[in-house]
Amino acid sequence: MQMKTASLSRWLIFGEWRAHIVQWLAVTLAIALGVALGFSIHLINTAALNEFSAASKSLSGQSDLQVHSNQPFFDELLFPKLVRHQGVELANPVLEFDVVVPEKLDSRNDHKLKVMGIDMFRATAISPDLLGVTESGEQLDRLADDAIFLSPAAMEWLQVEQGDALQLNVGVQTITLRVAGGLVRARAGQRLAVMDIGVAQWRFGYLGLLSRIELKLSPGVNLESFKADLDKALGEQFFVTEAADQETRVANMSRAYRVNLNMLALVALFTGAFLVFSTQALSIFRRRHQFALLRVLGMTRRQLLRQVMQEGAVLGVIGSLLGLALGYAVAAMAVHFLGGDLGSSFFPGIQPSIYLSPLAATIFFVIGVGVTLLGSIVPAWEAAQAKPAAALKSGGEEMAIRKLSFPWFAMACLTLALIFTQLPAVSELPIFGYLAIVLLLVGGIALMPRFSAWFFSFLLRAKGSVDSGAVSTLVLARLANAPHQASIALGGVLASFSLMVAMAIMVTSFRVSVDDWLGQVLPADLYVRAATSGHQGGFQLNEQKAVADLAGFTRADFFRSQQLILDPERPEITLIARPIDTSDPSTTIPMTDDLMASELWPRGVMPIWVSEAMVDLYGYRVGKLVTLPIGDKTHEFFVAGVWRDYGRQFGAVQMQLSDYQVLTEDMSSNTVALWLRDGVTASQAERMLRQLSFGSVLEISHSGDIRTLSLQIFDRSFMVTYLLEIVAVIIGLLGVATSFSAQTLARIKEFGMLRHIGVMRRQILVMLAAEGGLLTTLGMMLGFMLGWAISLILIFIVNPQSFHWTMQLHLPWGSLFVIAAVMLVSAATTALIAGRHAVSGGVVRAVREDW
Amino acid sequence: MLELRHINKAYAADRQVLLDLSYTLQAGDYVAVMGDSGVGKSTLLNLIAGLDTPDSGEVLIDGVAISSLDDNAATKLRRQHFGFVFQAFHVLPHLTLSQNIALPLLLNDAPLERVEQMLAEVGLAGRGHHFPRQLSGGELQRVAIARALIHQPKLVLADEPTGNLDPETAHDVLKLMRKEIKANGSSGLIVTHSHAAAATADYILNLTKDGLQPVVQEGHN
Amino acid sequence: MRRTKQNQSICLFSLIGMIFLVSSLLSSIAFAETTKFKTVVPEYELSFPQDYGAHDGYRIEWWYITGWLETEEEKTLGFQVTFFRYATGHNEENPSRFAARHLIIAHLALSDPAVGKLIHEERTAREGFELAYAKHGNTDVKVEDWTLVREEDGRYQVDMQGEDFGLRLSLTPTQMMFLQDKNGFSRKGPKPEQASYYYSEPHLNVSGTVVRHNQSILVNGRAWLDHEWSSEYLDPNADGWDWVGANLDDGSSLMAFQIRGKDGGKRWAYAALRDASGKIKIFEPEQVDFTPIRTWQSPHTDAVYPVVMRIRTDEVTWLLEPMFDDQELDSQQSTGAVYWEGAVTLSKDGQPAGRGYLELTGYVRPLEM
Repeated sequence: MQMKTASLSRWLIFGEWRAHIVQWLAVTLAIALGVALGFSIHLINTAALNEFSAASKSLSGQSDLQVHSNQPFFDELLFPKLVRHQGVELANPVLEFDVVVPEKLDSRNDHKLKVMGIDMFRATAISPDLLGVTESGEQLDRLADDAIFLSPAAMEWLQVEQGDALQLNVGVQTITLRVAGGLVRARAGQRLAVMDIGVAQWRFGYLGLLSRIELKLSPGVNLESFKADLDKALGEQFFVTEAADQETRVANMSRAYRVNLNMLALVALFTGAFLVFSTQALSIFRRRHQFALLRVLGMTRRQLLRQVMQEGAVLGVIGSLLGLALGYAVAAMAVHFLGGDLGSSFFPGIQPSIYLSPLAATIFFVIGVGVTLLGSIVPAWEAAQAKPAAALKSGGEEMAIRKLSFPWFAMACLTLALIFTQLPAVSELPIFGYLAIVLLLVGGIALMPRFSAWFFSFLLRAKGSVDSGAVSTLVLARLANAPHQASIALGGVLASFSLMVAMAIMVTSFRVSVDDWLGQVLPADLYVRAATSGHQGGFQLNEQKAVADLAGFTRADFFRSQQLILDPERPEITLIARPIDTSDPSTTIPMTDDLMASELWPRGVMPIWVSEAMVDLYGYRVGKLVTLPIGDKTHEFFVAGVWRDYGRQFGAVQMQLSDYQVLTEDMSSNTVALWLRDGVTASQAERMLRQLSFGSVLEISHSGDIRTLSLQIFDRSFMVTYLLEIVAVIIGLLGVATSFSAQTLARIKEFGMLRHIGVMRRQILVMLAAEGGLLTTLGMMLGFMLGWAISLILIFIVNPQSFHWTMQLHLPWGSLFVIAAVMLVSAATTALIAGRHAVSGGVVRAVREDW
Repeated sequence: MLELRHINKAYAADRQVLLDLSYTLQAGDYVAVMGDSGVGKSTLLNLIAGLDTPDSGEVLIDGVAISSLDDNAATKLRRQHFGFVFQAFHVLPHLTLSQNIALPLLLNDAPLERVEQMLAEVGLAGRGHHFPRQLSGGELQRVAIARALIHQPKLVLADEPTGNLDPETAHDVLKLMRKEIKANGSSGLIVTHSHAAAATADYILNLTKDGLQPVVQEGHN
Repeated sequence: MRRTKQNQSICLFSLIGMIFLVSSLLSSIAFAETTKFKTVVPEYELSFPQDYGAHDGYRIEWWYITGWLETEEEKTLGFQVTFFRYATGHNEENPSRFAARHLIIAHLALSDPAVGKLIHEERTAREGFELAYAKHGNTDVKVEDWTLVREEDGRYQVDMQGEDFGLRLSLTPTQMMFLQDKNGFSRKGPKPEQASYYYSEPHLNVSGTVVRHNQSILVNGRAWLDHEWSSEYLDPNADGWDWVGANLDDGSSLMAFQIRGKDGGKRWAYAALRDASGKIKIFEPEQVDFTPIRTWQSPHTDAVYPVVMRIRTDEVTWLLEPMFDDQELDSQQSTGAVYWEGAVTLSKDGQPAGRGYLELTGYVRPLEM
């Protein structure tokens, strides 16, 4: 008995698919695309993140705890103290810094080499991967005062081999080291150099300084209490963290980016789910008679429900499997061609490889099948609930399908979306923002039939007075009076077009804002940097004077920037000390409106200006008193204003250079901004700088180049979103194709009758194209509104909540019209191609009942 | 008005449907064609309507060989001179009754003034704004009849028009169809299995392998 | 356990590695650097207490203690403690506190017949931050928590606690110091610069504790200390050496070594016997012979060691027999050096004569350094 039912359901499924192979292929493909997109993004992100944390783990080693300071470097005398500290089995001192490679100065964003100074005798127990390997096996060469060991990727990048000389910049000097060997266990793609800690301190000007101390605890020591005690004992200058904290920190750096990508992928998958729904719905309505007959012949409701769900399940399984394979392939290719950060520079200096985790594959498989089942359940339920006698009669399709539209549901979705836009971020992620986007889409699609009925009735009435044209009457009457069947085709168009509009508006707004911002933050003509020299900026007073005295410039502003850690679980913030016009800081800093006039400043406290991220992440408010570790101590400051920073999403603080120098007595600087005197060209100015005694090691950038490069990086990082858009559009067009071909089949008798009574083939094609075009136009109108609303959510909710920056709304009308035109033409063409059955010879016979 | 000359039609080598069929229908005639299933009744209708082409022979409408016309010309001929009534009515669900009936006029670019009158004639006066789903089967077929005659075609082709109706309704519909065909001065050709239906025609032909044979009328009312 | 793994991937020095390192340095890259180090010369007169301490100007230096211990239960153990100071030859001008000018390396090994093989650990660190050092003026060496200190009264204190075992010993001299060869100028090869400064402190009275399995066992016994420093030690053609230092039952002290050439033959040899009264008899190279009597093949390294050895010093022959065969120090998993360093008993004419330590190096090829 079971067997018989099973084979019946198999016959039914295969019969249906054989008859409508193209539609089902399209649906399978849509599911596959959705799953592939989500899965590949997941794979790429995980690969990049894993590689990034594995790389940073291989640097930080297998320690129990790490001690950091709130500044990049601290006094090495903490090291012997920790060695002798009760409960410490091993303390491993590490000095880590980036050095400028003079030969790579041309590539502005990629000229630094990470150098780690280690004590080989201590590092063996904690990070054995960092031990250099000499060719001769001469281990003591690791201690030689000119020896540097390079990872394979670093050797390749620098084009050096063992034994070669390597030049590196220290401040305004260039020093030469000898490549003594390799770091064979460095991760693929990891660019890294290792030196003896004592040599590194000496040669690079970090005498007396360490970056961190890694601790291994004696057996039996309670990690938690030890950590708490040590934290207290070391005071507020130091942080004691676990390896897990480090991973959190690494993950935090890119979390917003990864979550945003995943969300976009899920939205694409959701579009796919809608496609399943519409295809299943149409297929079921087309087969109402068949199902009614089966019910009459004795199939129970439950069996029928199971039958329809089974169809969905088989599709889901095939589509999801296909999607997993496709996703894996896409991920592998994307990582190969674009790198693990998909061109966004979130994971620099690594080369991830895709790892196929069975768990992740299972999850995405389940999501794919689940979404398909979700798309099938409503139509299946309708099919099972239908009264067989009524269903056997013709002409009830629209009534049946109408059951599937719920205006109250649409309104509920839209209302909820509106409420969600008002909710704050959940653990720094714009969860409600994304929910609002999904609800907007669902609500918009659910509202579509109402909207199209209203719209086309209006058109029909407007045209009614003209009373001409059978085709236009047919088209408009159908669109107005059978809105549900018509608009089911529209879900995909609506969803994909609104996504495109939303992304286009968001990216344009962002780009225009970044462009404006770049103009504001780069007011000078030239920016000149020197490599850091230890914990000092590369320009000492002598060099500063030499630059400032050059004839070609009207103004020279010196900047001193460094990293600070305010919270060990968060990435470093940037401190920038520079001359700031206190009466109007917006002349030097891209201020928001949130700032305090200098007359209102409290006396005796130094002002700082903070980026928007500081407000979100650390709760800094204008007028608030805050403490920052500047120099050897922490000092109190007050927040005088908030500025916009698209460059550092983890936070940045600006202060007066003079204030900084008073607090630290550090007179050095990293960067100088130079304004050209009239009549001096940038290349003349560059020549002057190069003629300085230290001119050859300077990194000179023209503000125009920086701007161009920044925008290039911006565009590259949005490449993946364009990819997502294209996939969404393909899914949308697949939706148009499947629902039109389904409807053409369902309407075959209508076309047969029309052909009988004298409608020409061409007229039927025109009718189909017009229906497709009109529907698409309407879909795009609604899609534009939805997309605009979604872009508002992206711009004013998702971006500030995930990246902590705000931007202004800019609408890219031109490209929107182009997109709309392309969509319109492709939808009408798709409808035409899908409807070519409608004019085939078989149509005329379809009017007959006794076949 | 309609002349069939030596029509041959086969769907496959071993499935000859019509063999050397010749027949002439006079203007104003209303004939019923009967015959066993599969003998070619529907094929005959499609050939007459220009929706199918004979393997050999000619279908002449007022002397014009419809099978020699291209699809567009045949379609134009059909929309002007033909009316159709189907077994399954084929009334478009998303058009109102008026719109359904007006379709041939719209196609022929003709004025729509006759629509209300037609509605009244088929007994659906005042219901022009209704949609087909509000109608019974018999009423739908009345709409179909109105649509078939609104543009006063030369020939109405009806394929089993009462197949989906109960006998009583069928009787009313057949009566109405005959009345309307006669009232509009059209000719009619009804293909049916039903003797009752056939009996409403002026005369009955039996389609067999040997062609169209007149059947002696057993009674006429 | 954790600590022993510490040096996992540094295939570094140990006693033999260290000395062979010197020879390889001499023959290769360090040729130019030898000028940086002081040369051992015969004219130098050792002076104390300064020469108990470290001699930074020389490339390599070690304090080496071996001895026999007895537990309260009258079980016999052998021990070996070595502290090296090794000048890297690098970072002479580097002002960093981390500058690796000197390395301090320590070895600790225990021979227990009940275990049947050596148990051993080691430590390596750069000198600095008072965490590792070899001080001047007196013997005071430290690496991490391992220390060797000579007190004002001449007593040595050894404190070395490892992961699995440890020693805390006090070693009291019972005899005068023993300057080897020509008043402490000890030749190691045919060339005069192949030499070291070398003094021994034989017949040290040992008391203290051995920690094993987290239990302290009281021990006492007798030990031998060598302190030797040099810049150029081995002949480039040398292959290894056999060495013995023994406290004889009659209060006399015997030290003998031979440097083996690559051909397996004797390249240099030396022996000295000091009787209880302090009279020293020194033997010329041709008067000293080492003759293998029985060999033992290591199951760990396949190396074949002459664990039973006959040594001739002029007309006297000594038979050396090990406490047990497997006293190979195999640190291939850590520092990479492999040698045999074992407690041995000496007999003369079939009569027990004393106890000491035999060192057999250069029997494994290729040498891991």
